[in-house]
Amino acid sequence: MRQLLRAVIFGIVGYLTGAMLTWLVRGGSLGDEVCVVFGYVVGLVGWLFGIGMGDTWVREWFGRPAREQEEIGWKRYLGFSTDHKVIGIQYMATFLVVLLLGGVAAMVMRIELAQAGEGILSADRYNQVMSMHGILMIAVAVAAILGSFGNYLVPIMIGADDMAFPRLNAVTFWLIPPVAIGLLAAPTLGSFDTGWTAYPPLSVINNSGQILFVLAVTTFGLSSILGGLNVVTTIVTMRAPGMTWGRLPIFVWAAFSASVLSLLVTQFFAASLILIAMDRVAGTVFFDGGAGGDPLLYQHLFWFYSHPAVYVMVLPGFGVVLEVITHMARKPLFAYRAAVVSLLTIAGMSVIVWAHHMFTSGMAGYLHGPFMFATEMISVPTGVIFLSAVATLWQGRLWVKTPLLFAMIWVFQFLMGGVTGIFLADVATDVQLHDTYFVVAHFHYTIMGGMLFAFLAGIFFWFPKITGRMINDRLGIVFALWLTVSFQLTFLPQFWLGTNGMNRRIADYPEQLEGANMFSSMSAFLLGGSFLLLVYILISGARRGPVAGDNPWNASTLEWQVSSPPPGHNFPGQPRILEHPYRYGTAGSRHAEMVGVASTHEETVPGTGVREGGDNG
Amino acid sequence: MDRRLVDWIWFGTLWVLLTAVGEFLVLGLDLLPARWSAEADVVDDAYILLMALAVPIFAGVAAALFVSLVRFRVQVDGIPTEDGPPVHTNRRVVRLWLASTLMLALMVTVNPGFIGLAELRGEPSADLVVEVQAQRWSWKVTYPDGAETWNQLYLPADQRVRFDITSLDILHSFWIPAFRVKLDAVPGRTTSLYVTPEGIGSFDDDFNLRVQCAEICGLGHSNMAMPVTVLEADEFDAWLNDLAEGA
Repeated sequence: MRQLLRAVIFGIVGYLTGAMLTWLVRGGSLGDEVCVVFGYVVGLVGWLFGIGMGDTWVREWFGRPAREQEEIGWKRYLGFSTDHKVIGIQYMATFLVVLLLGGVAAMVMRIELAQAGEGILSADRYNQVMSMHGILMIAVAVAAILGSFGNYLVPIMIGADDMAFPRLNAVTFWLIPPVAIGLLAAPTLGSFDTGWTAYPPLSVINNSGQILFVLAVTTFGLSSILGGLNVVTTIVTMRAPGMTWGRLPIFVWAAFSASVLSLLVTQFFAASLILIAMDRVAGTVFFDGGAGGDPLLYQHLFWFYSHPAVYVMVLPGFGVVLEVITHMARKPLFAYRAAVVSLLTIAGMSVIVWAHHMFTSGMAGYLHGPFMFATEMISVPTGVIFLSAVATLWQGRLWVKTPLLFAMIWVFQFLMGGVTGIFLADVATDVQLHDTYFVVAHFHYTIMGGMLFAFLAGIFFWFPKITGRMINDRLGIVFALWLTVSFQLTFLPQFWLGTNGMNRRIADYPEQLEGANMFSSMSAFLLGGSFLLLVYILISGARRGPVAGDNPWNASTLEWQVSSPPPGHNFPGQPRILEHPYRYGTAGSRHAEMVGVASTHEETVPGTGVREGGDNG
Repeated sequence: MDRRLVDWIWFGTLWVLLTAVGEFLVLGLDLLPARWSAEADVVDDAYILLMALAVPIFAGVAAALFVSLVRFRVQVDGIPTEDGPPVHTNRRVVRLWLASTLMLALMVTVNPGFIGLAELRGEPSADLVVEVQAQRWSWKVTYPDGAETWNQLYLPADQRVRFDITSLDILHSFWIPAFRVKLDAVPGRTTSLYVTPEGIGSFDDDFNLRVQCAEICGLGHSNMAMPVTVLEADEFDAWLNDLAEGA
């Protein structure tokens, strides 16, 4: 608490110092964007030192002992903790809150869109709410799974006691609150109205709120890069004895692929945003078509990151879903190696497909064919993930609890997103569908379906490990069905709206489209309501749920072999990995030899081909 | 009967059933708006072909999920103690899957992909060149003899028209939903789009006969639209003469 208070004070003082100094040097007004930029940068540094970055690194640089003053109990979660499990929970809580905030923005949008004409929002205000919804949800999608499960689970799953760089990990998380504050403070400077894509020239000439968007999102990018670096280094260097690359749990592979991507491509987004900041405050003309710049340059840079970003969002989702399916179908993950190769191939190919977002942008015509081809090809490795999921379920012993239900619904949702993606990869159909509600529906299926549903599967699966308590499964299933049904009712009509003449990012539309919009809005409210149930389930589960025990799913991977929640530094002694994690159905198999704890993975019998009530004749 | 065989029979039946229903919906229901240009046929044919191809894939996975949920579900109190069969992989299945998805992806890339792209692009020749200038939040249309209209677009039917699109300020996008064509207006460059209107009609007949800005451009973006009127060629010439004389 003291750290947090200090961080807030340092942050404010830093902001004022930076802004005032700039103002003293150049005059003008304190609200000028240059002052905001320098204020923000100094404020950010102040915030980081206030929260505790200086107590460790900087003191050591000057030859003094680090002051690690970790608090105890619930206060740890509000301070600079280097424990990867604390950081994982910090991420999870933060992004659940951001998710709900973005959801409220979505509800406001759907109220406006329920009827044609101007409703509760002016056109301007609508654009701002829409842009806020976009960027908040993009942040959730990028960081929720990697931040929470990536931090919490990766070290345990590979048998390590923490991440490779625990202090950097803490800094990575504590870069997030300034992002949230920056974005939510944008309305004080007139907000931003460009959508999350921030295409210039609009993003160069609009209200000053855009500069806060640029600063906040660049900070978020920094956090993403550092997080990626940490996850990659951890997996490369911290694996327990015997944990060969071929024995890594699939979620670790997924986190690895996504982290390599965020480590290598996030810079391009940051660079393009910094160029926008330069155009705004330093008088450069990178994107000014009239002065020798080029607006299309931004789109190339932006999508060079932002298409791979889709895979930064969904690859960890693939990992979560495959992990849940193999444990809860009680069957080895089908075609593990092919799935791993696919994850890496998807990550590699994702950097050569970006211009399929630009088929109608006016870019050179000869680029259409190659990018269409590359985009269609990425469906092949993605198809392997589907094969792996479905073939693992086939002939399994499905323990249909909430996590498995979510994982199975995920397959459906992401397939819907993938199949509709073909229409956007194909130039002939994309010229009509680009920038319409077809795209809106498509990316809600891929990102909300592909990332959020996997996140929920993961929350329900690892909740007992993290809290030590079970969730009310019946309510969980009600929530899963409620969410899924209202999701279809909300977004299916939007495909139709898109093909029938409704473009995206509009506050008003032709009145002929009112019926489907009203239907979609009503369903959206139903969808939004389901999250109240989720909040109730999580809180009541954490407070009053039955005690889970170490291994409530009788799963084989390392995190289930230690107590719930795991002890500090995860393992009483160094575990040794003996064989592949998913040896369900093989008698006498053991993933790891634990030291200091009794293995909790109960011996199970191989499938006999006879199921209860089976008529095997 | 072998239980596994029954699983497959369930799956096959459901797959065929779902595919049939899906194809009926895709090919039977007319979900697309009216077509007003030659290009619309290319786009809609591609759309319908992709839908027809997507249905069996979608139905297959949905059927597998549903059969799994119904047939492979175990009901236990407490922790299940029986595992599924220890199948780690099946090379033939993986290869078959890879080959078929690759084939399908290549197929789609060629048709409607490359073929649709070529058809849509067509010959770079035009009967009429119309300049369109976008600016926040209106459209200026200039015809060959210099006559101008604001926020009104008149076109002759059955003539290949080239639009030379520019922007005075920021990005806009020139979209005519009834024609199925879209292209951004980019400050600092001229982008060109070909379209051949078909049929006589106007915004009053079909609200998708409009030019709608499809790239967010601020306050007036939603309503940055102009009605499109398609006339017989001779009527269009007469209209253009009147306009030029009036100007």
